[in-house]
Amino acid sequence: MDILQLIQSNLLTPIVLFFLFGIIAARIKSDLKMPEAISEFLPIYLLAAIGLHGGIEMRKTGFEEMLVPMLVAIGLSLLFTLNHYQILRRLGKFNIFDSYALASTYGAVGAVTFSVGLSFLKNQGVSSEGYLAAILAVLEPVAFILAIFLTNMAVSKQIRTKKQSFADDEELEIGMKQSSTKLSQVLKESITGKAIVILLGSIVIGYIIGKEGFEPISIVFDELFTGAIVIFMIEMGIIAGQRLEDIKKVGIFLTAFSIIIPTFNGIIGVLVSTALGLSLGGAVMFGLLLASASFIAAPAVLRYAIPQANPSLYITSALGITFPYNIIVLLPIMFTISTWVHGEGTIDLFNYVSKVFI
Amino acid sequence: MKLYDVKLLTVTCEFLAQKNVIEILKDHDITGYTTYEVEGNGAKGLRGQGFKNEKNVKIEVVMREEKLSGVVEDISRTLFPDFAIILYVSDVGVVRTEKF
Repeated sequence: MDILQLIQSNLLTPIVLFFLFGIIAARIKSDLKMPEAISEFLPIYLLAAIGLHGGIEMRKTGFEEMLVPMLVAIGLSLLFTLNHYQILRRLGKFNIFDSYALASTYGAVGAVTFSVGLSFLKNQGVSSEGYLAAILAVLEPVAFILAIFLTNMAVSKQIRTKKQSFADDEELEIGMKQSSTKLSQVLKESITGKAIVILLGSIVIGYIIGKEGFEPISIVFDELFTGAIVIFMIEMGIIAGQRLEDIKKVGIFLTAFSIIIPTFNGIIGVLVSTALGLSLGGAVMFGLLLASASFIAAPAVLRYAIPQANPSLYITSALGITFPYNIIVLLPIMFTISTWVHGEGTIDLFNYVSKVFI
Repeated sequence: MKLYDVKLLTVTCEFLAQKNVIEILKDHDITGYTTYEVEGNGAKGLRGQGFKNEKNVKIEVVMREEKLSGVVEDISRTLFPDFAIILYVSDVGVVRTEKF
């Protein structure tokens, strides 16, 4: 009942309403459209705000605290990516390229989803650990690199078996060389890519300036934050709305996958991070990191590195199904679970203590 | 005025294939090209809506005839199966043939 109420009240927040409005605008074929410059600017702005906020918080807590959660997040992200691949390949019968592309899309993180999560927590009056912004930056390329590496391995294995039947040395060498240059290119480009650069840069600047230095710019990077997300949500809604027909092509299996997998990953994330000692809000954000799918970075990386994969599968499922599900339904669910495990934890402890002492 | 015959290769492809095309040009020691963002409709549906990544790009390259078949072969082999892409070749005249 609690969860339902929270979902209901979440549904009536401006972020969700504007997202739904964007979908409707696209469905009635309105020519409503964000100017291109704004839709390119907003992700940069959101990442800068997330980074600054994270950097300021990290100044208070220091770096040591972030190490274990970060390593756990990387481990889980890799594990989940492998898990997704097995599910998609074996149960979903997708080809190797689509399986790896989808697996990494769901193993990667979504910065927009992260922003919505932060604003959701702000709405609930709950704060989260600042170093989660750093985890967001580190997690961004991890799943893609794994998937691209494994795809390359699979492709060179195929080429090798072909080589045995045809004995065409040159072709093999070219194929091997191409796949290894692709991997290093992707690695380099994702580290110097705009998302990670602005995020890490803002974390460092936030760390340097601290709370006092942030004061004069807080009107832009703090107070406007939710408003900016709302504007971006119109754009997201329009793009999702334009892709609504594609959902039919995605198929029942992938539709179920795009709902069940984030739920599973997210809840595991909330539980694991609670065990690691993250706060109520921090556990929600940690869960959201693992639950979210990438739909802005993913196409840019995957189209280059795994061009054989069908982009409409991974973009449509991540943006059209998982993103709305995450911000409308899963976020309140994770919040409730996090409240529950955090509340329960203290009650348990209290009971335990009182049992022992009385 | 004397005009020399060279070839103009025009490739219209999805935005994210641009990098691959330019890599192929580089492999053939071609450094000069012009690109512009375009929109349009084709076999893969209406393109140019939504994310910038989903736009199309038009790449124009002027080159000597000797290089043409190698470039076209590479593009056809590596990009045709997976990308929304078309290419065509036309005859053009240039004044300074040493530039190409």
